[in-house]
Amino acid sequence: MTLLEFIVFLPLLAALAILIGAPARYTALSAAILNVIAVLLVAIRFGENTLETLTPSFMASSRELLASPKLSLAFAVDGLSLVLVLLTVIVTVAAVLASPAEGRIKGSPKLYYVSSLFISAGALGAFLSTDLFFFYAFHELALIPTFLMIGIFGSGENRKRTAWTITLYLGVGSLILLAGLLALFFQCGGQSFAFSDLYESVNTTEGNPIPGDAQNSTFLLLLIGFGILISLFPFHSWAPPAYAQAPTPISMLHAGVLKKFGLYGLIRVAMPLLPEGAAHWQTLLLVLLLGNIIVIGLVTIAQRRLDTMLGYSSVMHMGYVFLGIASGNAIGWSGAALLMFAHGISIALLFALAGSLRDRIGSLEFDAIRGGLAKKAPALGLLFGFAAFASVGLPGFANFASEVLVFFGGFKDMGDGLGALQIATIVALWGVVISAVYMLRAYRNVFKGPLADADANASWSDLTVLEKTPVLLLLVALMVVGFMPNLLLMWVTPVMESLTLFGR
Amino acid sequence: MDANTIAWLILLLPLASAAVILIGTRRAAGVSALISTGSVIVTFVLSLVLLAVPADATAQPLSWLNLGEGLTINIGLLFDDLARGMMIIVTGIGMLVHLFSLGYMKDDDGKARYFAGLSLFMFSMTGIVLADNFVMMFLFWELVGVSSYILIGHWYNKDSAADAAKKAFLVNRIGDFGFMIGILLVWVLTGSIYFDEIAKAVGGVENAGLLNAAVLLVFCGAVGKSAQLPLHVWLPDAMEGPTPVSALIHAATMVAAGVYMLARVSFLLVEAEGAAHAIALVGGLTAFVAALMATQQNDIKRVLAYSTLSQLGYMIMAQGIHHGSEAGMFHLYTHAWFKALLFLGSGAVIYACHHEQDIWKMGGLRTRMPKTFWTFAIGTAALIAVPGTSGFFSKEAILEAAWHDESGFAKVAWALGIAVAFLTPFYMVRLFVVAFLGKPRTDHAEHAKEVGAIMWVPLAVLAAMSLLSPVLMGPLKASGHVAFHLFTPTGLLSLAGLVVGAFFGWKLYTGRDSDPISIPLFANRFYLDDIYQGIVRVFQDFVGLTLDAIDRYAIQPLTTRGPALGALGLGYIFRAFQTGNVQAYAFLFGLGAVIMLWLLVF
Amino acid sequence: MDSGLTLNHFLAISGALFAIGFAGVLIRRNIIVIFMCLELMLSAANLTLVAFSRFNTTEAGLPDYNGQVLLFFIITVAAAEVAVGLAIIVALFRARQTIDVTQIVSMKN
Repeated sequence: MTLLEFIVFLPLLAALAILIGAPARYTALSAAILNVIAVLLVAIRFGENTLETLTPSFMASSRELLASPKLSLAFAVDGLSLVLVLLTVIVTVAAVLASPAEGRIKGSPKLYYVSSLFISAGALGAFLSTDLFFFYAFHELALIPTFLMIGIFGSGENRKRTAWTITLYLGVGSLILLAGLLALFFQCGGQSFAFSDLYESVNTTEGNPIPGDAQNSTFLLLLIGFGILISLFPFHSWAPPAYAQAPTPISMLHAGVLKKFGLYGLIRVAMPLLPEGAAHWQTLLLVLLLGNIIVIGLVTIAQRRLDTMLGYSSVMHMGYVFLGIASGNAIGWSGAALLMFAHGISIALLFALAGSLRDRIGSLEFDAIRGGLAKKAPALGLLFGFAAFASVGLPGFANFASEVLVFFGGFKDMGDGLGALQIATIVALWGVVISAVYMLRAYRNVFKGPLADADANASWSDLTVLEKTPVLLLLVALMVVGFMPNLLLMWVTPVMESLTLFGR
Repeated sequence: MDANTIAWLILLLPLASAAVILIGTRRAAGVSALISTGSVIVTFVLSLVLLAVPADATAQPLSWLNLGEGLTINIGLLFDDLARGMMIIVTGIGMLVHLFSLGYMKDDDGKARYFAGLSLFMFSMTGIVLADNFVMMFLFWELVGVSSYILIGHWYNKDSAADAAKKAFLVNRIGDFGFMIGILLVWVLTGSIYFDEIAKAVGGVENAGLLNAAVLLVFCGAVGKSAQLPLHVWLPDAMEGPTPVSALIHAATMVAAGVYMLARVSFLLVEAEGAAHAIALVGGLTAFVAALMATQQNDIKRVLAYSTLSQLGYMIMAQGIHHGSEAGMFHLYTHAWFKALLFLGSGAVIYACHHEQDIWKMGGLRTRMPKTFWTFAIGTAALIAVPGTSGFFSKEAILEAAWHDESGFAKVAWALGIAVAFLTPFYMVRLFVVAFLGKPRTDHAEHAKEVGAIMWVPLAVLAAMSLLSPVLMGPLKASGHVAFHLFTPTGLLSLAGLVVGAFFGWKLYTGRDSDPISIPLFANRFYLDDIYQGIVRVFQDFVGLTLDAIDRYAIQPLTTRGPALGALGLGYIFRAFQTGNVQAYAFLFGLGAVIMLWLLVF
Repeated sequence: MDSGLTLNHFLAISGALFAIGFAGVLIRRNIIVIFMCLELMLSAANLTLVAFSRFNTTEAGLPDYNGQVLLFFIITVAAAEVAVGLAIIVALFRARQTIDVTQIVSMKN
C-alpha cells in the first residue's frame, strides 16, 4: 500500500472501525489528524518538485482492474491535487473537531462521524485518482452521506424535503456529468480510463482529433454537469438551503471541499481535452459566472438569515473561480486553484462559527438577532470578524492573493481594446464591493451595536476551547497562505502552465 | 544597521506590535498600550535614521507572489525622498497621537484593542508609503481600510459608530474597485506593476485613450481614500471614532494616502493630460463644496472634518496641475501637522467638556484651557494661511502653480481655490470664536479644566511644527520649495480672502449664543448623504429583493425543483407496479420471461 | 427401450408440471403451498433434464450424463433450500402470526 492509497483509504478504514464499535469521535479525529500528517509527509517529499508533466505522476501507483478498456485503481499527486488534498485534510480535521460531542448528537453518533469520514475519503479519492472512472466514482461516494446527514441530522422543518431535492438534483447533475464523461471517453478512443492515455490520445501532431461539433456538445454536457455540482448560475438553487440546513461539519466539508471537485474536473479534464469546446462556450460561461457574482451577490444582500446568506455567498464566490478558469492562462488558473483553497477554508470557517452561534442563540434570523453580541462573546465576535474579512478578500488572507491573481489573469491576454473577458473581469470586480456589503452588514447586525439586556443576561457564554480549536486551525492555514502564497503557488503554477499550454 | 534592515524594521515593527497584542497581551491593557507606543517611537527614530541613508540605497525585496515570467509580485521597499519625507509625517504624527492616546483612552474598556488597531494602522500606512509597486500599494491600501474600520468602530456598541465604520469601509471599497481596474490597465499597457518600470515604459504607450482611462481609474482609489467628491461622505461620519484616531487617520495620514499615491505616479499624470485635468477639477470642486458645508456645521469635529476635505481637495487639485505635484505634497506635509494639532486640540476640548462636541455648548474656554487655546490658535492660523505660518506657504504654492498652468481646466481649479481661500478663514474663525471666546454656555464648559501633560505636550510639539515645518523641509526630505509671491494676483487675492473671511467670521459670531445664519443646503451637506442613501436603498434592497424573488420563484422551480418534480412524477407512475405483493412480482417476472422467450424463439 | 414414449411426452408432462407450479405460486395465498408449488417447478425442470439426458445419446450409445449430474446438484440444493425456506416460514409465522402472503406486504411504503 502506497502512502497515497493510505491517505485515501484511512478514512474508510476508520469508518469501518467506528461501525464495528470503536469510539466514534476519537477514531474519526485520530484518522483525520493522521491524514494531515500523511499529507504533510507527501508535501515534504514533493518539496519544490516542479514537474511539468500533464498527468499527476508523483508517487504514482496503479492496480489494474480491467485490461480492456484499461481501468485501474490508480493514484498520483501533482501540485494541483496536492493543494486540494491539503485543503481536504485540513477541513476534515476542523469538521471532525467542530462535530458535537457524541452525547449531544440526536440519533446515532456513529452515523454522524462515519458520514464525515466518507465525504473526506470520497474527496481525497477524487482528487488523487488518475483514472477517469474512479475520479467520478469517488465523488459519488462522497455525495451519499451528504444526503443522509441533511435528512437525519439537519436543522429546520424542511430538512427532509431539502435532502430529497438535492438528492434528485445532484443525481441529475451527476448523470449529465456521467454522460459527458462517457462521451469524452469514447471520443478519446474508448481504450483507457487513465488520464495519461486520455491526454495522449488528443495530443497528436495534427492537433486535437476530436471534431469541433463533438467537442462543443461534450463540453456543454460537462459544463452543465460540473456546473450543477459547483452551483453555477442558474443551477445553484440547491446549495443555499442545503448548507443552511445541513449539520455544521457537513456544510464545512461540502461547501469547503466537495464542491471543488467540479472545478478540479473542469481544470483537469474538460478544458485541456476539449479546448475548442471551451472556446466555443466561453461567452456562455462568462455570462453565467457574472450571474453567480452579480445576481447571486445581490440576492445574498437580500437574505434574512445568516446561514442562508453564507450559503449564497459561497455560491457567489464560485463565480471568481470560474472567472479564473475562463481566462485560460496560467495566471488565472493559478488564481482559481489558490481561490479554491482559500474559499474552501474560509467558508468552512464561517460555517463553523455560524454553527457555534446557532448552538447559542437558536435562530439565525437577522430579525431575531438583536445585535451587539461582540460584547457578550468577544472571542466569537473577533473570530467571526476575521472570517468575514477573509471572505471579503482582505490582504493577509489567502483570498486576497487568489482574487488578485484571478483579476490579473482576466487582463493577461488583453488586445488593443477591452475584450469580453476583460469586461467580465471589470463587472466581476464590482462583486468585491457587493460581498463587502453583505458581509459587513451581517457582521454589524449580529455583533455590533448596543447589546440588548435579554442577551446580556442570557445563560450562554463565549466560545469554549474546544470550539476555538478548529476555527483557529483554519484561520492559521488561511493566514499562512495569505502571507506566503508562494507556498502553494510553487506547486500549482507549473501544473497550470502545462495544462493551459496543452494542445496549443 | 544598513538601510535594508532599517527599512524592514520600520515596516514590520508595528505589525509585530499588533500581533503581540492580539495574541499575547490582549487582557493587559496597560502593557499593550506601552508595546504599541514603544514600537511607534522606535519606528520614528528609525525613520529619522533613514533620512541619513545614502540616496541610492535599496532594500532586498521579499517575494510574495511569484508566477515565473508571467507575473511576479514582490513586497519591495522603495525609500526615495518622497517616501522618506512621508515616513517622517506618518511616524512623527503617529508617535504624538499614540502619546496623546495614552491620556485620552486611559480608562477605555477596549484600550488593548484600540492600540492593536493603531499599530495595525501604522503597519498598513508604512506599507503604502514604502511600496515599490502597485499591487503592494493596493494590498496595504486595503489594510488601511480595515484598520480604519476597526478604529472608527472602536466604540462598536454605539449604533452610530458601527454604521460609520461600515460606511467608511464600503465607500473606500467602491474607490478600490476603480483602483484595481486602473492597476490592471496600467499593467496591460506598460507590462509592469513596478513604479520604476512603469515610469520607463509609459512614454511608449500608444493607446492614449486607454491610458487616460487607466489613470482616471487609478485616481478612483484616491477619490475613495482621500474622500474626494463624490465619495467624500464617509469622512465626516468617521468622526464617530475616538478623536486621536481622527487626528491620525482622518486628518494627517490615511486620507493623505491618495495624494501620496498620485504623487508617486506623477509620471503617469504627465502622460495622461485629460485625466490630469479631471483630477484638478475634482480636487477644486471638493475643496469648494466641502468649505461651503463646513460653514454650517456645529460639531467641532465635523467642522474640522469638512475643512480636511477641503484641504485634501487642494492637494488633489495640485496633483492634476502641471508641475503642481510638489506643491501638493508640500501642502500635505504642512497640513498634516496643523490638522493633527487641531484635531488633538479638539480632542482635548472634548475630553475637558465631558465628551461634549457641540460648539454652541462650549464657549469661554480661553481662560479655562490656556495651553489648548494657544496651540489651537496657532493651528487655526496655519489653516487659514496667515502669512508666516506653514499653511500659508504651501497653499500659496498650490495656487501659484494653478495660476501658471496654461490650460483652461487649471484656471477653473484656480478660481475654485481662491474661493476656498475666502471661505476657510470664515468658518475657522467662526469655530474659534464660538468655542473658545465669550462666556461658557453650559456647565460642562464652565467646569472644563486644562488637560494633563501627556496630552498638551503633543499639542505643543505639533504647534511648533505648524510654524516651523517649512524651515525643516530640507532636512526632513519634504518636497516643495518655500517662496514668497505676495504681490502676484494670486497672492493678493488670497490675502484679501484671509482678511475678508476672517472679518466676517469675527463680526458675525462674536458674542452670539446661536447661529445667526442658517443655510439648510450647506448644513445638510447638499443632501448628498440622503441621495446616496436612496440610491443604496434602491440598489441593495429593492434590486436585491427583486432578484431574490426571481431566484426563489422562477429560477429555483425551473432548475432545482423541475428535475425533482419530474422524478417525483415518474415515481408516481412506477409506483403503481410496486404492490408489495410477492405474487404480483412473480407474475410480472413470469410475464417478462414469457415475453423474452417469445422474442427469442419467434 | 421401445415403450413408445418419445421426448415430447416427457416435455409435455414437464411443461404441465411447471405451469401448475407457477400457477400455484401466483394464485395460492398459503405460503407453504406456494413453497410446495416452487418445488413442483423445480421437479419439472429436473424431469426435463433427465429426459434430455436419456434421449441424447453419445456416439458410444450411452446417455449424456451431464444432465443427470446437474439433476443431482439441483436435488441437493433443493434439499438445503427446503430446510432454509421452511425455517424462514416458521420465523415469519412467529413474527406475523400469519402465513397468508397477501397480508405480508411490508415492502410497500
